[in-house]
Amino acid sequence: MPNETAPRQSTLACILTDIHFWVPLGVLIAGLLLLRSLS
Amino acid sequence: MQSTLTSALASQPQQTSRARKLQLLGILSGFTAGAWLGAAEAPTKLVSIGVSPLVISLIMVVGVFLARWSVPALILGTSSIRADVRRAPHLIIWAILAGCLWAVANTMTIFAIRDVGLSIAFPLWNSNSLLGILWGFLFFNELRQAGLRRWLGVLGGALVMCVGAALLAIASSSAAPVAHSYRGVWAALGAGVLWGTMYIPYRKAYLTGMNPLSFVTFFTFGELGMMSALAVSYLGLAPLWRQLQSARDVLFWLMLGGFIWVIGDLFQQYAAKYVGISRGIPLSNTNQLWGLLWGTLVFGELHGRGHSIYAQVIGGSLLMMAGVAAIAFSSATTSEQTRWKQAAHRESQRYNIAADYVEASMDGRQSASEAKPSRTAIDWLLVAAATAIFIYFGATARLPQIQLNWPAALALSAASLALLVLCGLTLHRTTRFH
Repeated sequence: MPNETAPRQSTLACILTDIHFWVPLGVLIAGLLLLRSLS
Repeated sequence: MQSTLTSALASQPQQTSRARKLQLLGILSGFTAGAWLGAAEAPTKLVSIGVSPLVISLIMVVGVFLARWSVPALILGTSSIRADVRRAPHLIIWAILAGCLWAVANTMTIFAIRDVGLSIAFPLWNSNSLLGILWGFLFFNELRQAGLRRWLGVLGGALVMCVGAALLAIASSSAAPVAHSYRGVWAALGAGVLWGTMYIPYRKAYLTGMNPLSFVTFFTFGELGMMSALAVSYLGLAPLWRQLQSARDVLFWLMLGGFIWVIGDLFQQYAAKYVGISRGIPLSNTNQLWGLLWGTLVFGELHGRGHSIYAQVIGGSLLMMAGVAAIAFSSATTSEQTRWKQAAHRESQRYNIAADYVEASMDGRQSASEAKPSRTAIDWLLVAAATAIFIYFGATARLPQIQLNWPAALALSAASLALLVLCGLTLHRTTRFH
């Protein structure tokens, strides 16, 4: 069962503080910049 | 207390046997993925028209989009997808992010092939498996407490596969590297980094309990959205439309390529789920071997080339097979799987997802709180619409005037279908496609 006793962050806050979100996003932005410089 | 301990001890061999079954299933899924991802290149080889590679990629993605909605609807039904999304809505963001990463990487490969040729580009972007190992280790506890033998098996196997891939790519490339070599190398490396990073969302979704069939339906929004944006921004709307019009006769073959690619990708997703990304990515990278088989046996690509080329092909293939074998025999130990479960527990705590759902999903079964998947009229409508679109484009398609080795094409198709049936049935029996 989900942990219901501890105070929880909102889903958005969980996402924005998750490194699993920032690493792919950072790589995507870098990829778009690289693509722009290549073309 | 004693009875709990006794039942726990009694269930331990059962759990180990289940874990072993899932590992074998993941390895089989990886092999099947390789066969179908490789076969996806075949319909695109039938197309030799003067349209932009971006347009070819975009049309393939349209086929992918149709397949990604109709196949899951047919197998599990959209009610199951909706239930998955209600449990873990945050994963939609990761699915779209992964789709965007795929589209940008795919576009980069076009630039890489143009600038340095396939022989240099392919091994460079195949290095995505090494990055996958790094991300799997850093973020998802993969290969933790795995022991030296397994580390050597996975890392050594992936490196050997990269060398094999390089040999195959050199042999299968007919064009010498052309100008802008630095630009091409950067594009190929960029594609490898993007594809390697795309597996972070995959693994996160499956550790959290999302069904691969649910994940891909949202992944494809990122894929189609980003690909459309890139095509419009690079070509402009009017030229893009003109090129689509001029490619009307071959749209079917490209969309078919996308459809076959989705079958391969679905198995790749199950491989990532059951053996992790560090092992799943290298196994599905065997698509290069299958692509080469299609190219040489069916399309006669190496016909009339020197002995050294054939030696390179045989050597590269053997190296790739050796690497695959090393990875396949390095399945996760019980202690490593305990670390995977810790990573899954962390995800369920962070996003407040029911632990029984996460645990059941990792074990490849339905949780007690989940409703049995069922198909509704919407699902049949989706399947019928996708089928109708394919039939329409099939009816308007032009038969390509190209020499094919039909016995080889039939043999390879039969082998791919046999793998599909074998893996599909095993997935159904073992996990009911969970």
